[in-house]
Parts: sequence; structure tokens; C-alpha cells
Amino acid sequence: MPDGSLLERVLQPAQRQALFQPVVEIVGPRASEHYYEGLTRGPQGTSVESPQILFEYARRKRSLAAVDRACTLTILDAARGLPGQPRLGINVHAPTLALDPGFVDFLAQTAAQNGFAPGRLVVEIVEHAPPWNAAGFGHALDALRAIGVRIALDDVGLGHSNYMMMLECRPDYFKIDRHFVAGCHRDFHRRAVLRSVAELALQFGSQVIAEGVETVEDLETVKACGIGLVQGWLFGSARPARVSKAPFDGPERIIHSEDRAAS
Amino acid sequence: MTRSILVVDDEPAVLVAVADYFRGQGHVVDVATEIEEAGALLAFRRYDAAILDLRLTSLGGSEGLSLLHEIRERDARMTVLVLSAYISREARAQALEHGADGVLQKPFPLGDLERLALGTERRADA
Repeated sequence: MPDGSLLERVLQPAQRQALFQPVVEIVGPRASEHYYEGLTRGPQGTSVESPQILFEYARRKRSLAAVDRACTLTILDAARGLPGQPRLGINVHAPTLALDPGFVDFLAQTAAQNGFAPGRLVVEIVEHAPPWNAAGFGHALDALRAIGVRIALDDVGLGHSNYMMMLECRPDYFKIDRHFVAGCHRDFHRRAVLRSVAELALQFGSQVIAEGVETVEDLETVKACGIGLVQGWLFGSARPARVSKAPFDGPERIIHSEDRAAS
Repeated sequence: MTRSILVVDDEPAVLVAVADYFRGQGHVVDVATEIEEAGALLAFRRYDAAILDLRLTSLGGSEGLSLLHEIRERDARMTVLVLSAYISREARAQALEHGADGVLQKPFPLGDLERLALGTERRADA
């Protein structure tokens, strides 16, 4: 390893890359961008280039908050290159919010330095593992809401994104995992889950984002289940800010399920 | 037949030599220089064999044993080989007791490593 430990490399700004994927509103005659989710990749050519491996590694190094801060810096810096004045989604792990009391101030300051008002930010809360500091988590969520940041609960339906987390987060957005979305047009049980989450979100006064929409058939099914926001390859893969579309002009590709099955 | 192999060693020269050897045989190889990196890879990817150097951590320490335990909890069928420049009789016994299929003392011919990691020979004490 040329420059010290892998963690040291991860924490060097030049070693990280930011990509952006649109969350798209499908209600109305024409699809429109709702916000861009920022995604970080670790040092190129290493195992932690993959975000899954990166954050699991950070967790094992007991450095999740440091890596979340580093990724937040990377996303906000790179997001200046996005077209227009879009909203921006930033992934933050629940333990970081719970255990790093300075994180919300750090986020607000970094956003301001990069020209982002807090009202343009969506914090996407990703998985957590108990035990953790519920009081600290609640304070952080209150602080985020107080400055106008919206809250999304990621990976709804999987792992720890469960009913307890829904109650603790009271999210503005439920992001339902792609596991329940991919192939929903030909699976009654997946449609039942989608309708259930859509109804639950309605009761919460929240919106649902269906992740992993890759075919026109799934898109139409998701819409019929009462879900108004989607994300997936049908509307664009994750890509650097400089090559994101300007302005957003609807589905990038028309992919039918039989095409995907054949590819 | 292509196999997936994880090689864990904090010595870059050894890591590169072992990884290049297996890649040259047509196998898919991931490498890790830290025990936490190895653990993260094992959490999301499946391997046919893992080759771990004990210099990363003393086997008597909890980290090495935890990794062996973790591997065995995830996949009872994966071949796990432990490498070391020096290993005591007690440490060798402990490695086998905690789930290693074999312990190999450095230096060793790469062909032996391949035979133990991907062959049918198990519980080998080279």
C-alpha cells in the first residue's frame, strides 16, 4: 500500500469520487427531476471502491463517522457541477447521526461553503445496527429538521429500516429497496408490498421513492401502486456531475422487461 | 474451473506474487492488506478459498480468531489456509481448532499453495 493504511487513503479527498443519480417525479404528464442522490466511490482500483465494502470497512475500523464526513465533503464539493439548482440527497449512517454530535453543524457549514441552502438537502439515513444512542439520533434529526433538511429512510423493507426506524425517523421519504421493485409487474406479492408501503407513507404524510426501476413495465406498475417518485437505470445511472443531464428530460432509455431479460 | 480466492497479507510483495499466480491460472482474486478490509470483503462476497497471513495479527489475539470464526459462520465449505513465516505448535493447533483447513509455513512453492487451497487435500500441515 503506497500511502499508509487504506483508511488514510480513503480519507484523502483526491482519492474519492462522487457520482449522482436522479430521483424522478413521475406524477403529471412529464417526468421531472426531484433531487439528485450523491454517491461516493472509494479509491479507484481498491476493494473499497465499492460503497458497500467501503462502509463495512469503515465500520470495522470504527471510523464510520469520519468516512461519512469525508463523503459528505466530496458530494457537496462535486455537486456544484450539477445543472441548475437541484435538491441533493446525501447518505448518512444512523450511528453517525447518533454518535457524532457535531455532524449536523458540519453538514450545514459544508453545505453553505458550497452554495447549498439546507432546504435543498435530503439526508438519506442508511442502515444501522443496535445498540446505539437513540437520544443522540433523535436530537440530530430534530436539528436537521430545524434547519430545513428533509429526511429519507433508505432501504425500507430490509434489515433495520423497519417500523421502529420509521417511528424514530418520521421520514419525509420512504425509499423502498429495489428488491421489492424489480419485477413487480409480474409478481403479485411485490405489488402487495409496494401498495402497503405507499399506504403507510400516505398515513405518515410522506412520499415513497421506488428504487431500482429499470423497465417501463415496472415503472407503470409502481405508478399504479400509488408511488410518485422513482430512481433507477431507466432514468439514468449514477454518473459524475459534469455529465448529468441538463435539464432533465425524461427517461434516458425505454427498456421493456423482455429486453432486460434478453440482455 | 474458475475459482474465487481472497488473499490477505500485509506484505505487498507476497500479496502481489500470490495474487498474480492465481490470476495467471485463470482464477478471480481479491486482495486485502488489513483484517478489517478482509472482513468487509467477506461480508459481501463469496469465495471458494481464503488465504490469510498471520502477520496481520497475532493468532493469539482476538482479531485473527474472530476472522476465522466469521469465515466459518458464513461459509463452512470455504477452504481457509493460514500462512506464516513462523508459527508455533500451539498457534498451529489453535488455527486448526478455530476453523483453518491448513497451516503453511513460509517460504513455500506456489504450486503447493494452489494444491492446498483449491485441491481436495484438507487439514494439511505443511
